[in-house]
Amino acid sequence: MNYTFDFQSITFGPLWEGLIVTLELTTAANIIGIVGGFLLALLIMSPVAVVRMPFMLFVEFFRCTPAIVQIVWFFYCVPMLFNVFLGSMTMGILALGFNLMAFNAEAYRAAIQAVPREQIDAGIALGLNPLQRILYIVLPTAFRASIPVLLTNGIVIFQQSALVAIVAVQDLMYQGKTLATETYRPIETFTVVALIYFAVSFPVTQIVGYLERRRQLLMS
Amino acid sequence: MALDFSIILRFQDALVLGLWMTIKLTLICIVLGCTLGFVVGLARTSRNVLVRAVSSIYVEFFRGTPVLIQLFWIFFCLPLILGVELSNLASGVIALTLYMGAITSETFRASLKSVGPEQRDACVALGLPNRVQITNVILPQAVLRAIPTLLSNCVSLFKESALVSAVGMADLMFVGQNISNNTARPVEVLTVVALIYFAIAFPLTRAVTLVEGRILKKLAI
Repeated sequence: MNYTFDFQSITFGPLWEGLIVTLELTTAANIIGIVGGFLLALLIMSPVAVVRMPFMLFVEFFRCTPAIVQIVWFFYCVPMLFNVFLGSMTMGILALGFNLMAFNAEAYRAAIQAVPREQIDAGIALGLNPLQRILYIVLPTAFRASIPVLLTNGIVIFQQSALVAIVAVQDLMYQGKTLATETYRPIETFTVVALIYFAVSFPVTQIVGYLERRRQLLMS
Repeated sequence: MALDFSIILRFQDALVLGLWMTIKLTLICIVLGCTLGFVVGLARTSRNVLVRAVSSIYVEFFRGTPVLIQLFWIFFCLPLILGVELSNLASGVIALTLYMGAITSETFRASLKSVGPEQRDACVALGLPNRVQITNVILPQAVLRAIPTLLSNCVSLFKESALVSAVGMADLMFVGQNISNNTARPVEVLTVVALIYFAIAFPLTRAVTLVEGRILKKLAI
């Protein structure tokens, strides 16, 4: 190999701007995913089949198609079908947010189903109405149980957010691609970009691992 | 706006070719990736610090970065570093195999761990040699437990394979995007492409649930 590395030509300015956009996308998508996912989980657990079916289809559709297809679909089809024209950033947030909502809904569902039946019985015995039972018994327990999965899903969305570069949202990946073409230094640029993604997601996965270990200790 | 799905029929052959590419890529990478994952999974439990460190760094790095950047890196940088021309298919296979290897190694590691220490103690008490312990006691149970997660890893790989369209490989997504750009009918074409992916991935996820139930019953846990 006779390639001379030149990390000097990498300007961090655009990469930094890109990282901010990526983090904004991730945060907004996570807010949609965490809040919307819970409502979605309650809907897909509804005893009424007519209510349950469309939302289950929604979840399965987002879980069983590639994220890149969803994002491209959103950018091309939503404006044509619904005649709405939103900024590319908003579209990116919505596409990623809906994707995360579907994955989080499944996480919540598993956690809600894991809440022991006796606790709900105790709630009934105490004379709490269904809403109170959800708010004070199911929600806190289920939410705490699902935190590791929610964090993992959140970090997956952080990584998936690189896909919006394909539809020209100027995130970290997009800035990296531009820089690589401008400087003719793909190795250095893509390595730095990969390291930036890694530097953000690695600590979070470590925290998730720690939380899970602690939980297992508490459970045993 | 008027939707005209008959446009799909005109491009049937191209879509089938694209789908075939997607399936071919997925299958090759499942085989190679699972093999790699198994070896790496074992390497991560190795007593040798160096082996453990290298395999951990590999896994953490591939799980901690977007697949898109891994693909870009392998498509644009690997040929420069190695000084050889890599075909599109070869680069795609390398990238997705490395990704699959990283995620399946975690599956194998978790399932190896899930075989309780009592079983190993029992083996020792029975005086079984080390090789028999591994091949006849630990491995069968570990592989059995790994199957459901491995299946969902395969579904993930199938979905991630759509990313190769971003580096110009003619898979289903790439063909679909090309058709939709040329015919200016994104709604019909992209929806059908999404439905094709769904039609393959959805039954697979159902299968995961079924297999999981069966295996749990078999292991009685």
